Amino acid sequence: MLVELENIIKIYNQGQVNEVMALDRVNLTVAKGAMVCLKGPSGSGKSTLLSIIGCIYPPTSGRAVIAGTQLARLPDRFLTIHRRQTIGFIFQHFNILPKLSVLENIMLPLMPLGISPGKRRAMAEPLLERFGIDHRRNFPAGEISGGELQRVAIARALINAPPIIIADEPTAHLDSELSKEFLRSMRQLKGEGKTIIIASHDPLVTDDGGVDMIYAVRDGRVSQDVS
Amino acid sequence: MREFSEKHLNILDYALSSLWRRKGKNLSVFLVFTFVIFLLASFQFLTRSLLDAAQATLRQTPEITIQYMVAGRQESIPVSYAAKIKDVFGVRKVTARVWGYKFNEVTGSNITVMALAHFPRLDQEVLAEGRFGAKGEKGWAVIGQGVLDDLGLGSRRSFSFFRPDLTLKPFTVSGVFGPESNILTYDLVITGIDDGRDLFGMEATLATDLLVEVVNPLEIATVARKISKALPGTRVVTRPQILKTYEAVFSWRSGFAAICLLSALAAFIILAWDKASGMSPEERREISILKILGWQTPDVLMIRFWESFALALVAFGCGTILAYVHIGYFQALLFRSVMMGWSVLRPGLSFVPVVSFGDLFLLFSLAVLPYLAATVIPAWRCASVATDSALRG
Repeated sequence: MLVELENIIKIYNQGQVNEVMALDRVNLTVAKGAMVCLKGPSGSGKSTLLSIIGCIYPPTSGRAVIAGTQLARLPDRFLTIHRRQTIGFIFQHFNILPKLSVLENIMLPLMPLGISPGKRRAMAEPLLERFGIDHRRNFPAGEISGGELQRVAIARALINAPPIIIADEPTAHLDSELSKEFLRSMRQLKGEGKTIIIASHDPLVTDDGGVDMIYAVRDGRVSQDVS
Repeated sequence: MREFSEKHLNILDYALSSLWRRKGKNLSVFLVFTFVIFLLASFQFLTRSLLDAAQATLRQTPEITIQYMVAGRQESIPVSYAAKIKDVFGVRKVTARVWGYKFNEVTGSNITVMALAHFPRLDQEVLAEGRFGAKGEKGWAVIGQGVLDDLGLGSRRSFSFFRPDLTLKPFTVSGVFGPESNILTYDLVITGIDDGRDLFGMEATLATDLLVEVVNPLEIATVARKISKALPGTRVVTRPQILKTYEAVFSWRSGFAAICLLSALAAFIILAWDKASGMSPEERREISILKILGWQTPDVLMIRFWESFALALVAFGCGTILAYVHIGYFQALLFRSVMMGWSVLRPGLSFVPVVSFGDLFLLFSLAVLPYLAATVIPAWRCASVATDSALRG
């Protein structure tokens, strides 16, 4: 298993008056090369669950093993290193920096790794070509179309060659054509052996043939969706 | 090691391009910071320039000056005192000097007239043109740049002053002091001692003061003490004391101005702190994205450090260069009144800017380091933005 969560509890502001239990004894596993969907309403705990799977912070208690590493024991610095080696993120609004060029946005995760500009460009080239955005490489990201923006986001998630791709509500602001294009890309990546975890309540995603497993998240608890 | 340096080059590259991306916002900070550094540097360079000019010129002034005091006021000194002073061990030479002021009613300014029997230290190098009068020569005068303008001489080389009995005493200009010695010679007329006595109506047995040269310059203070003991009614002033007075006067003025300017700097630093500690939603989002993409908190801090350092360094360079031009080319247009006073002649003084490593280091420490602290320390808070905030939309 590439992702193993056992009895995960996540409490925000623990011991304070505004204490919130975001995840309550969550158990979840994701096999290598699988495509999993987490569905649930806003505030159900999806983002918290993605944050733990995405090595952004460790759980309050429970056992979280991501790509063979137990998160609870990792200090923040190593959590970051493990995240950039293991996880590629695709955000709800793509979170592309609009004033940076397409190429600069894609190379952004490589900058703190001490990789020279030439090598960074060499790593980004195949992704620019693969996603058909080569002609836009020097355009400010704020000036390209929604579909191109989506492809930039996917390319940026892949630049570190991570085994896991996490996508948070990736189709929330896309029309159906772009959503289908996005899911096509995810299926392709799955075919290449990547593990895909998508948080979404969009039926286009949940009904997609490439999705192997759907988990329902509600009030901080996770159950396998059998509907 | 290579990876470490590549990483920091990448962060520096990102910081510089980030500065450029927010050029509108950064330009305003840059302009204000440059102006504050320009003000501070102008004062520092001007003070150094004045002190250097004073020191350079005072090196040629007498080592010890003896004045005769009556009821706490200076009176003419009998030239016969020179013989008593010569007997003091360590004295090499004693010269009588006559000096006083002539008021120019046309321009409303004072001109200092100084008459000497010998010119032991004033050599030809301090003159922009001409020479000092020879021994026994009559009616000659070496004048400062300001006197040349004040008397409106133009190409003429003769002028006159009124004696106390209102008859005219004529002079012929034999030389003009160069601008390097302006601080002391700008309003000065030098002439022979007999002409000086003639001009001020002074008896041949008297002088305004006596100038003493010592055998060993390291013994100035000791010789001065001995003379003071030997001639109880006199005031003995040494060259180091005059230098200290100049330093005190200019340092006091500079210090006063610096306090005013440091208040401006402090206000700017507080503004910078306030600006750095408050974050726009765009900046918060950017930091969150960087962190989720694998940038560590120190990496984000380094961006802020390089941004601030680059901006401060360029502002420091521009501010100091502008200050240099302000002192050297525009002759300290903004501050000369504060530093020089408001006298009629002094505004004509020519400044030669003097920059030392110590002054630059002081300015750097006063301006750039506090700015770095004011922008990088609060950036810690910015860099500690919750990493998952990009996930929360």
